[in-house]
Parts: sequence; structure tokens; C-alpha cells
Amino acid sequence: MNSKDPTTTPERNDYLWDSSGTPDPEIQRLESQLAEFRHDNRPLVLPETLQATNVRKALVVPLRLAAAAVVLLALGSVAYIAYKSSRPSEPQIAWDCSALSGDPQIGSQTIFRENSSANFRVGQTLTTNANSRAAIRQDDLGEIQVEPNSRVRLEQSGANRKRIRLELGTIHAAIWAPPTEFVVDTPSATAVDLGCAYTLQVNPDGSGTLRTTLGWVGFHLNGRDSFIPAGAMCLTRPGTGPGTPYFEDASPYFREAVFAFDSSDSSSDARARQLTIILEQARAKDALTLWHLLSRTDGSERALVYDRLATLVPPPDGVSRDGMLSLNHQMLDRYWDALGLGRISVWRMWEQSGAPAS
Amino acid sequence: MATLYEFASPHAGLSAVNPSLDSTAPDATLVRAAQKGDRSAYGHLYSRYARMVHGILLARVAPHHVEDLVQDVFLHALPKLPSLRDPAYFPGWLAAIARNRATDFYRNAKTDVSLDQDASEDKSASSAALVTPQTSHSSAEAHAALAAIRSLPEAYREPLILRLVEGMTGLEIAQRTGLTHGSVRVNLSRGMQMLRETLSQKVSPATGGEL
Repeated sequence: MNSKDPTTTPERNDYLWDSSGTPDPEIQRLESQLAEFRHDNRPLVLPETLQATNVRKALVVPLRLAAAAVVLLALGSVAYIAYKSSRPSEPQIAWDCSALSGDPQIGSQTIFRENSSANFRVGQTLTTNANSRAAIRQDDLGEIQVEPNSRVRLEQSGANRKRIRLELGTIHAAIWAPPTEFVVDTPSATAVDLGCAYTLQVNPDGSGTLRTTLGWVGFHLNGRDSFIPAGAMCLTRPGTGPGTPYFEDASPYFREAVFAFDSSDSSSDARARQLTIILEQARAKDALTLWHLLSRTDGSERALVYDRLATLVPPPDGVSRDGMLSLNHQMLDRYWDALGLGRISVWRMWEQSGAPAS
Repeated sequence: MATLYEFASPHAGLSAVNPSLDSTAPDATLVRAAQKGDRSAYGHLYSRYARMVHGILLARVAPHHVEDLVQDVFLHALPKLPSLRDPAYFPGWLAAIARNRATDFYRNAKTDVSLDQDASEDKSASSAALVTPQTSHSSAEAHAALAAIRSLPEAYREPLILRLVEGMTGLEIAQRTGLTHGSVRVNLSRGMQMLRETLSQKVSPATGGEL
């Protein structure tokens, strides 16, 4: 972020944020102009019976659209039956793919730079070599840049869930879709976008790294979750899944200790030494790491982690030491929310609504 | 026609519908009550979230369709509400329904003018699509301003419309949409910066002057 970035001058943006501070004449003029489009506070009108679907639609949808919907439904049914055996049940949207450099390929089709774009469809694999880069874009989702020596397969592209598989290489994702709509599978973990931008790298051995630049991302494997907010990173390894996330501006001792702790045997003396370094070096913002360590330690180790966490970020109301040491889910969630790194309810909603058993 | 129940906005005296429910009750209380069939609780939720739904739709659908679609979103959500296991998810769940209804609207109505113009398209064409011969000069400027917002990347449209049109604060936008404060702040700031640049280059179709 450079020094001219508007987000670094909060005094200028207070009025934009909440109408406080010095009024900005241009924003005031826009507010005044655009007021005619504001919700008109008309009452909500419901039919007597909720099941009366047709009555409900007749009240709110122009008849011509209803007729069009019937026609589209009929056509859609025919198409669905025709393609039922070979296509997913939800309509799948093709992505736009363009070459940023070199000649990336979708399957055996080469994407040349002079071409405006090509369709990238579910089931296809985009490949870049050492000299090529590509961008894939879906208007409702965002844009993903694919770095050299990468392989990306489009797994799902429905209205509410877009899913790719990064088999190898590096992608930079800038996502504007609502949280949890975009999912990336890798050989060792699944990344779930919780808004907005991140870089994900997969090595030939299946291990990987996730770095978040804006918003936060969930990393998941077999019930092991890591949450990576902006400025933080997380490693993942096959079989183990996501490691413990940490902020990249933490001290080198802290970062090395987290890496060594994740790699160490649970009963080793080295592990105890690494934990001591982590606790000594932790700053208030490193509560991110300590919160994750609670569920990756037990017994006396967990107590040490909790006590250090509580000194850095006081426990919120309704959270007790005993509850945290027993990994009470509600208390863990409440503590996470108190860290101010994102609302965990977004993640829980994703778990409820169809987190895969990856 | 079936008997209709009206759930008014705060300005129309909702408390008269069911005085036993406090309109300031937490979301979770209202959602649980609505899940059990309490329609006045759902009316309170409507009052609380109609602006958010309206803004989400306005970021995607032509203005003259939006009020009807707001109703449609709440009608569509009500029968599904019992399936929502945790009331804390209501805001994000409702926002997702609104976005999906906007998508469905275009899927089912190809004849409507799409306002989701790509930023690379001619922005003046986007403005022209919004301005009709009946539009007054001031309204034409308003339509042009809205078109300018809608010419921005999608990440910036929704927060800017929620802020500038619906009058929500950044904090409210974050709470309602489930995005972090930081994300909303960045999107508002960068979106506003791009909007200023867009407006500085744009000529009002009604006045011929700078907007």
C-alpha cells in the first residue's frame, strides 16, 4: 500500500465512513442527488398463506416476466433432461480466460495474447508454462491471475458456489463475490474466500502457502481450520493440513518457532522450547497465532497458551478459562470475534451450508 | 384476493401490528420468533434490513424494478427461514438471497436493460440507459451519478450504494454484509476515489455541464 492510498488518510474518509468529521462537499452532493433511489419504506405485503406461491409472485412480479419465466423454465427443463447425465444439476457459468504473457493453454487449446479471451468451462484445466501467465475472470466473482508453471482446474461455477482446484503453481485471487462463494481446493487444504484478496501457492509435493493481502481466508482440511487475515500467512502440508497462521511482520524468532512447532513431534523437548519462544515473542496482534494454538495443544501447554493470550487480549464477556481450556466452541468463537479479524459466524455458516469433507 | 398482511416500516407505525414485540429486540430474538411464525417479528426484520436488500439489488438491477424485488426477496426468504439454524447468520443469508434474486431476475428477463456494464464499456452508454426523456435535469444528474457508480468494479458498487444511496454507515455495511470493517473501509475509499475520477471526466447528459 503506497503513501497515497486513500485508506491511509482516515481523516479524509471519516465523512465517507460514517458522516462524521469534516463534511466532504462532493459526497454530500452525491448523497443529495442519489436520495431519489433510496428505499421508499413501503410496507412489506405478505399473502395470507405462505404456500400461495403463485399469488405471491403475482403481487410482485410483472406478468410479462412471469410468462417469460414459465417459458424459460420449460426450456430449462428440456435442456436439463438432455444434459442430465453429463452435467451438474446447477447451470454452470463459463469464465473468461486471457493470456497475460506467453501462450497458456486450456486443455489442448492455446490462448494467444492477440485473442481477446477464451471460455474456461467446468471440467477444463488451464495450464501455464515457464513463460506464460493467464487471467481468469468471472463477473460475479472476481479475477484470478495464474502465474507461470501452474495448473488450475475449474470444478464448479454455479450461481452460489465457484470452485477451482489449484493442482500446482501460484494464483493471485481478487474476489468481490460474497464471503464463502469462492473455494480453492489444493492437494493439502481447501481455501475458502471470506473476502477479498490473497495469494495461494502449491508446490510439486502438494505442500502450499497462503498469504492474505485483504480481508481474510479460511483454510480447511478434515476439521482442522486456520483463519488467515490480511498481513498473515499459513503453510499447509499433505496429510497434516493447514498449519498455524502468523503475521508476516512478527519477529523472525516468532515465525521460525511457529514453523518448528508445527513440524515437531508432540512429545519432543524441542516443541516445548519452541512454544516458550512463541509465548515470549508474541505481541498483541499475535493473538491470531495463540488462538489457533489453543486447539493444537493440550494439558499444560494449552494452559500456558491461554494465559498468554488472555494477557495480550482480555477475554470477552462470557468466556472463562475453564471453558477455553476445554475448547468450548462458543467461547472460542466469541474470543475470535474479540480479536477483530473477522466475524466467525461467516465461517460457521459456510460449514453449515455445505463445507465438503475434504 | 387473499387477505394481505402489511408490515410497515418504522415510519408507518409497525408497533401497532404486534405491540408485544419490541422493534429494538436483537436480531436473534426476532429471527427465532419469525421462525416460529411470528409475522410481526419478520416485519421488524424487514424494517431493519430492507435498506440493505434494496442497496444490494440497486447495485445490480434497474432502479424501477428494485422496490418490487425487495418485496420478492423477503417473500422468498420467509418460507425458508425455519431452515436457518443459527440466527446470527441471518444478515449474510438474506444478503445472499438478494444477490441470487438479482441474478435470477436477469436470467428470466433478458429484455430488460442490463446496467451491469463492464467498466471497459462506454460509460456514457451506461448513463444514457438510465436517462429517459421524462427525466428532469436534476434526476438526470442523479441517474448519471448512479450509472457512474455502476460502472465501477463490482467490489466497490455495493458498499458505495449502501453508503451514498441508502445512507448506511461503514459499520452498518460491515455488520449487515458480513465483511470486515477493513474490507468495507478499503472498498469505500478506493471506490470513492474511482468515482471521483469517473465523475470528473463525465459530462451531464441533461445539462451539458460537469456533474
